[in-house]
Amino acid sequence: MPVKWLMHFQPNQGTTLTSQVMAEACAVAESFPGVSRDGRWRSLMTFYRAVPRDQSLPAPSDLPRDLIGISLHDLPNEYLFVMRSQRLILRAQSSVQTVMDKLQSYKGRFFINFEGLQYKWGDFKLRIGKCLYNPNEALRGIVMEVEYLPLSSIDKSQRVMEEFYEIWREAVASKLLAGQFINTEVNFVDYGLGDSYTPQHTAVLYGMCVVQVIASSNKNQ
Amino acid sequence: MECVVQGIIETQHVVALEILLVGLCGAPKQRIRVHELFLKNGPNLASSEVRLLCDLAKTTPSWTIRHVGGAMRGAGADQLSVLVRPIAESKASSTALRFFYGIGYKLDHEVLKTGFAFQFQNRGANLTVSVTSTNRLPRLHATDDAVPITPGIHLVEITAPAAPENYTEVASAIASFCEYLSPLLHLSKPGISTGIVPTAAAAAASLMSSGGGIKIL
Repeated sequence: MPVKWLMHFQPNQGTTLTSQVMAEACAVAESFPGVSRDGRWRSLMTFYRAVPRDQSLPAPSDLPRDLIGISLHDLPNEYLFVMRSQRLILRAQSSVQTVMDKLQSYKGRFFINFEGLQYKWGDFKLRIGKCLYNPNEALRGIVMEVEYLPLSSIDKSQRVMEEFYEIWREAVASKLLAGQFINTEVNFVDYGLGDSYTPQHTAVLYGMCVVQVIASSNKNQ
Repeated sequence: MECVVQGIIETQHVVALEILLVGLCGAPKQRIRVHELFLKNGPNLASSEVRLLCDLAKTTPSWTIRHVGGAMRGAGADQLSVLVRPIAESKASSTALRFFYGIGYKLDHEVLKTGFAFQFQNRGANLTVSVTSTNRLPRLHATDDAVPITPGIHLVEITAPAAPENYTEVASAIASFCEYLSPLLHLSKPGISTGIVPTAAAAAASLMSSGGGIKIL
């Protein structure tokens, strides 16, 4: 599976993120020579909370409060769970959501949609999207997923991805946006993941990225 | 959703049953070696049970998460000779057990099921006939040292996937298929025991002597 990087837009301190950033980022992508628009993309993240047996009490503190589920745009028949505190990922069929519904021990409490435009640029696929809090569609962040099609080795693709990142940062800087794109850094070894890229790697990237997106969104509100 | 019936057969007649099933099916049997873990959540969570199945029959073990719902009730369900129940399952990565431990589930008990299964098409329904011995594990996860819980008895189960709009047809398909097995065993809803069939020994002897001479459907 091709390697991906995931970046999010970090607004400058005291500034508010607006949809204009998304429009400017798409304009940057569309200015690359030979780029072509390649449709839309959408991934959905669910934040789960434990359902205590006695619902008048708060959820017990020994149960995870960071369980997220994610349905990725390029794997519609699969579903992944990430528990950051335990460095644990579960990859399953999408029917696992039905199992969780039947168990009723955890319920989805809030949701974030990642959705936007997709571009093809040589050996790269770029996906620029908004992070929208569901259901009120409040804009929480802007992300960009960069996929390098020829390589599935994280180590071997490091240099080309870094070069792309520099090209992207310079191009975005020329737009004088009030912030910058930050790459999501993850030590995949901590999650038991190897050098060969998998959907589990993507799930971990989104799990880490959304923490940073929400933190910077809360800081700037 | 699935329809299911069960019955028991003496272990000494399992070979005869296999001869009968080979003749009916015309395809090789599938080996069953499944480590089944029954998990329940702790006292703090809304109560639920889940099963993890690890298929050990192949070189690389594969995991399935399975939730078995309660039997369908009501006048319609009572009239059926099969049990109908909701099923939810998903293939999963090998981190499934750690995942459920991580979200507060604990191992209630585990078994190893060994045996074989045949797949049939009958009246449009996809039937799986499995013949298994259920084994207990003397130590945690010790599948290599498993011991049969009932050494002289095997469980025979017929299951078929169903949907709300077709479960009565699937139930009929199972019921009619049971007729082929009736000389050797009776199958009924789980929990309703019919015991061992009196004609089983004679039927088994007849099958063993005729060997592969059964006409394939």
